[in-house]
Amino acid sequence: MGNTEENPQILHATSHYLYYPEEKNVPPYLAYGFRPIFLLLAPYMIISMLLWGLVWSGIINIPFMDNILVWHIYEMIFGVLTAGTMAFLTTGLPELFPGTVPFIGKKLKYIMILWLAGRLSFWLIDVTGVYLTALLNLSMLGWLIWFAKDAVLDKLQRHASLGYAMVVLFIIETWFFAAMAGHAQTAPMDILKVALGASVILILLALRRVNMEAVNELMEDKGIDDVYIARPPLTNLAIFTVTVFTVVEFLYPNNSALGWIGLASGAAILAITNDYILKDKFILNQPYVIYLSLIFIMLGVGYALMGWAILNGEIENITHFRHFITSGGIGLAYLMVMIIISWIHTGRHLTSNIYIHAMIGLMVTATLLRGLIPFYQEYAHELYLYSSIVWTLPFMIYIKVFFKFLTAPRADGIKG
Amino acid sequence: MKFALKILKDFPSYLWSGWGAVASILLFIALWDVGNQVYGDLVLPSPLETFKTLGLMLHDENVIKEIHTTLYRASVGFGLSLLIGTALGLLAGFFATASMMSRPIVTILVGMPPIAWIVLAMIWFGMGDETVIFTVIVASFPIIFVGALQGTRTLDGELKEMAQSFKFPWHMRFFDVYFPHIFSYVFPAWVSGLGMAWKIVIMAELLATSNGIGASLATARSQLDTPSALAIVVIMIASLMFIEYIVLEPIKREVELWRD
Repeated sequence: MGNTEENPQILHATSHYLYYPEEKNVPPYLAYGFRPIFLLLAPYMIISMLLWGLVWSGIINIPFMDNILVWHIYEMIFGVLTAGTMAFLTTGLPELFPGTVPFIGKKLKYIMILWLAGRLSFWLIDVTGVYLTALLNLSMLGWLIWFAKDAVLDKLQRHASLGYAMVVLFIIETWFFAAMAGHAQTAPMDILKVALGASVILILLALRRVNMEAVNELMEDKGIDDVYIARPPLTNLAIFTVTVFTVVEFLYPNNSALGWIGLASGAAILAITNDYILKDKFILNQPYVIYLSLIFIMLGVGYALMGWAILNGEIENITHFRHFITSGGIGLAYLMVMIIISWIHTGRHLTSNIYIHAMIGLMVTATLLRGLIPFYQEYAHELYLYSSIVWTLPFMIYIKVFFKFLTAPRADGIKG
Repeated sequence: MKFALKILKDFPSYLWSGWGAVASILLFIALWDVGNQVYGDLVLPSPLETFKTLGLMLHDENVIKEIHTTLYRASVGFGLSLLIGTALGLLAGFFATASMMSRPIVTILVGMPPIAWIVLAMIWFGMGDETVIFTVIVASFPIIFVGALQGTRTLDGELKEMAQSFKFPWHMRFFDVYFPHIFSYVFPAWVSGLGMAWKIVIMAELLATSNGIGASLATARSQLDTPSALAIVVIMIASLMFIEYIVLEPIKREVELWRD
């Protein structure tokens, strides 16, 4: 049923999947799972973030939502998460489990419509109601879990943790909608903080896989003779501390012990960057290693600063510092996944150029503008606006650099 | 020189590898904070309060003076056991009879609890510097002695022969053949000896003197001043960790590489 390519010269590229479905007339933008989602996600990030920026700086008013802050956080966590996870899974699973058939063509189109419908129902929630939004968004995440079931049921359980993290996120999202519809008493904001912790864990798990592929591919490309291994114990320590932080924050928000746990989470996440220090070769000067370590630095600084704010009794600053995790760490993680997949899986070498530098630099700048508001309170209004504008620029550059790759067949002529 | 450069070159990555350890220490402090919330300030002051007290103490001249006193005692005691222990240990290692004979004595020295030494020393020397210094010597000497003894005992005979048959000059034979091997045993022994000396000096001071950090700890106890007591404990642990993990451990790692 599938066509396995035996040609040794392109063997490396075909290791991305074993079989490719035989569907006729598949347009390039539906030839692999990540293509349509990135084509939609980049503009969506820009439009929605600009809207939020205008809302927060008080320039426009969205009349159809009674709790703007809660919905803003919901959309930035779950709306974007399903897109990022979908790109990661549809691209990664055929590679991690060579039997998995790539998800393409018509089926892919329907899932993309489901995701779009989820977004549309979100923005029109006061017209269409919370139940429709819940149904559409939960079925999107539910489908992703269904798609990843092989990873969870895998006998060796190598990548099962990804599946479990998604199941946890599904439960949290259900809980959130229950609270919004009045069926649960928990404050929606508290649920969203739990959701953020869970998505940080999912991202740490995913990054371990992304790191392995990207850094080793990079070293192979540049002829650096060493092996990079993302060691599970370091990631697990970070996941453990983040879990403790999330649970304690839910049960005892602003407790002084949480301050120390925040500092511990920061240190544990920074510890992951030790993997980049290889035994023989020095790779810390490689652009992609710098980009990827910035994700951990942003996440780590975010948790540490939140801990610091709690210990100092400056609780009102926590929400600002949390943006090091959301705009910074998670934003960069999405951006890196988009960049890496868009290079490698369109049949190109992992390249860094002035555009990529600018994308990463702008996202870090936007995060600093947003996260350091507590130190420049008098400019708070301008900073809200500027940070959201600057944050969208990387996605504009992404559109300029990568959209032509996404809408064209693979450069090396392989299907996908 | 090359050796020192290699240590300096590896130092940043060594330091960076400490984040995991920092994380687990911070989690431990969080647990301490929970203990404070459960048992109250009198039993267990909060970490934050302890660190604030510590900050105040480090700006207090009297406290600095006490630290100096303790440092003086620890360094004299450790310095003496380092000199005597290394010299005697190396010497004993060269003679099978001497090493055979010294083993049971070392066992006695190691086996005897330091607290018993303190009692004896108080009878012999009274309450003062000598008692503390003596106890430190008795406690850290055996560790250094055994390390040095191992160093010379395990010298590779074939390597020695090779050095002789190639007619190496004496300084080459010493610095390139014997020294690296011996040092790879002696240095780690020094590190553990230092750790021991630092712990014993506090205990001896607490029981046998009226000044030094140990005595301050005794005062804090009698006044039920738990924040100060904990702050002193933090000083002790922090200084030991600094010396052991920041200063000595990088050297020790390089040195131990020579063994293989």
